Amino acid sequence: MPEKTLPPDQRRRYLLAMLGAVGGALAAMGAWPLVRFFMPRDTGGAGSAIEIPRKDVPPGSAHFFDYRGRPAVLLQPRSGEFLALTAVCTHLGCIVKWQDDVGEFLCPCHGGRFSLDGAVLGGPPPAPLETFPVTLKGDQIVIG
Amino acid sequence: MMTVNLRGGPVALMLGLCLFAFGGQAVAAEDDSVCLQCHGAQSGRLGDPVPAWESSVHAGNGVSCHDCHGGDPTDMAMAMSPERGFLGVPEYEEVPDFCGRCHVGVKDDYLASQHGKALASGGPQCVVCHDNHAVQRASLDLINEQDCSRCHDYGRAAEIRASMETTDDRISLLENELPPLHRVGIDVKGFEGEIFSLRNEFHRLFHTVDVEQVKRETDRFGTQLDEISGRVEGVKTDLAERKIWGGVATVLLIVAGILSWLLRRTYHDQE
Amino acid sequence: MKPLKMVIDWVDVRLGVRELWTANTTGYLVPGNINPWYSLGTVLLVLFGLQFLTGILLLMHYIPDTEKAFASVERIMNEVPFGWLFRYLHVVGSNLIVVVLLLHMLSVLFMGSYKRPRELTWLSGFGLFNLGLFLCLTGYLLPWSQLSFWATTVATDAAGAVPVIGSKLVEVLRGSPSVGSETLGRFFALHVVVMPLALLGLIGFHLFCVRRNGISRPPFGEKARPARVGEQFEHEHHDDGIPFFPNYTSEEAAMVCYFIALLVFISFFAPQIFLPLDALEPADPFNTPEHIKPEWYFLWAYQTLKIFPSKFLGLAVQGGLMTFLALLPFIDRGEERRPAKRPLFVTCYVLGLLLILAISIWGHYS
Repeated sequence: MPEKTLPPDQRRRYLLAMLGAVGGALAAMGAWPLVRFFMPRDTGGAGSAIEIPRKDVPPGSAHFFDYRGRPAVLLQPRSGEFLALTAVCTHLGCIVKWQDDVGEFLCPCHGGRFSLDGAVLGGPPPAPLETFPVTLKGDQIVIG
Repeated sequence: MMTVNLRGGPVALMLGLCLFAFGGQAVAAEDDSVCLQCHGAQSGRLGDPVPAWESSVHAGNGVSCHDCHGGDPTDMAMAMSPERGFLGVPEYEEVPDFCGRCHVGVKDDYLASQHGKALASGGPQCVVCHDNHAVQRASLDLINEQDCSRCHDYGRAAEIRASMETTDDRISLLENELPPLHRVGIDVKGFEGEIFSLRNEFHRLFHTVDVEQVKRETDRFGTQLDEISGRVEGVKTDLAERKIWGGVATVLLIVAGILSWLLRRTYHDQE
Repeated sequence: MKPLKMVIDWVDVRLGVRELWTANTTGYLVPGNINPWYSLGTVLLVLFGLQFLTGILLLMHYIPDTEKAFASVERIMNEVPFGWLFRYLHVVGSNLIVVVLLLHMLSVLFMGSYKRPRELTWLSGFGLFNLGLFLCLTGYLLPWSQLSFWATTVATDAAGAVPVIGSKLVEVLRGSPSVGSETLGRFFALHVVVMPLALLGLIGFHLFCVRRNGISRPPFGEKARPARVGEQFEHEHHDDGIPFFPNYTSEEAAMVCYFIALLVFISFFAPQIFLPLDALEPADPFNTPEHIKPEWYFLWAYQTLKIFPSKFLGLAVQGGLMTFLALLPFIDRGEERRPAKRPLFVTCYVLGLLLILAISIWGHYS
């Protein structure tokens, strides 16, 4: 063995460097399965459109549904007119409630208020609710 | 219930796993059956069906006397009473309806075929080819010169058989790939179900006895098989890749062990 | 490096960590003729650590419900990314732990390290061995396969041989007349909470004993010392020894690497040797599979129960053997530790080992 000829201290430096390299490779090989294990597999169907039967959203009511993994709400303020918005408050992520009597959203956590098209009416929310494009296809409402 | 039994049985057989388990259940059922207790002890015409049935695919799948012949398998006195739904032996021309209570699709195909149309004029029905109590799992072997030429020339039958043989072999080969995958923890229930229904559908083709239709449809089944076996191959590639990584990790660990041991030697030399 | 040194300085002034580190590493001298068998404890520590890690990962997807457990394990094996890897590491790791536990125990027996003043180290170690086996037994049930169900049925049934309270004891173990959801619930709680906590505590005590007593000098060569206890507590010093770190830890690292390599190799190439076909079928309480056998490390117990005419006698023999082993330091009180000078012990050791091996093989083929 060639390293036999080297003094122990020098051999040790080489060995530690090689051990570091092998250890690094092993650590990476061990970390990869862990990373994959914890990575979300379900992206909530990002990019895909969702269909909701028209009869689920009578005029004046609000229909809550799951849109790409997050809560969203569908409104029919006037007959035949549809609005889809995220239901996640832009302040701290609570889910807004639809106030049927006043026709606006109220966030129960800190009193944030939004109009039916998502604009901030009052309270702490820093930004309006995001809206999603809505199209009609027969008796189905297509969001996204 | 019946279809569940029929489906579950062959799946288990395919697996080659539940043989004991399934056999056990079937045996438990027949122990309870007064039909078998009585007829099993008889000889001649009344006793012969019992050993014949025991060798059949029906017995293997837990389909017992009363499932076809009706009656009450738990009551010795009333076992063969029409009040309890006993049917007895069907007439020659009633056989397709008799078997067709379970084998619905096959019955339709058969009745639409030249064989079925000839039934009234003495054409062949189910048991002419499949036998009755000793019925075996349907296979291409049922199409053979000896049996077919009992009634007609073998030529067209041979053509049908030749056309179906390749696909049938492919189904069997694909099926044989599954148990080793199951053994290493792969969930093969989905594959088994797909292959099972594919084979069933494919075997229905037997009964059309129409050379042109068989040739046409065989292609369609080939495409479906390609698709399934593509996915099975994907699983096998995955397993092979796992082994490569496992091998690399094992070698690296041994190398790390040797390096550590050499490190120990450097200290040892200074002790 | 500078900021790191500052942090360490800051902590060192307050807690004196450098002194602690030196006292337990370079300043902690172990016998110069120490051998690789002494590293099995560290190997076990690493293997148990891996079981904790893989166990926690499995716990994220496992469902302890008789209707869902088997399917959840199937999902871990087929859908969860690398779930198969963590499950196989957990299954193979548990078997490897039993192997290393046995090797560790056998080497301690052969070298007489269990003797005075290390009775408590031995007792806690023997407790850890039993805890390890119970962890295997409880974990076995969780996948709710045919194998799980019937192995647990047979194992708990053995308790029925205890006189008078036997049948009641079986029901208490199972939580119901036969193995069912109650059993799964309690085995689950035992396997993932109670026993791991007990294991941690007992490992802590075991390590404390080892460190407090000092490493026993291997009973070979001229420097062998007899097993003795004086009037006062005395740490076994090895002034002519070698530093624990880095000299001996590099040897331990090598052993750990070899065992992990073995674990990884089996997990990737032959995990099915620890998963018989019955482990691939969901539990069916109305259908006992044929030829059901316990795990290899319980085969000796299984076969002893069959050899003796009465189940109680078999159970008593097993209990007797385990009690004898647990109390060995108090029964075998001689000072001599060198195997060459203990012909009777070594004969019994070899014969006993061969007997257990023979009974296990018999149990496997019977």
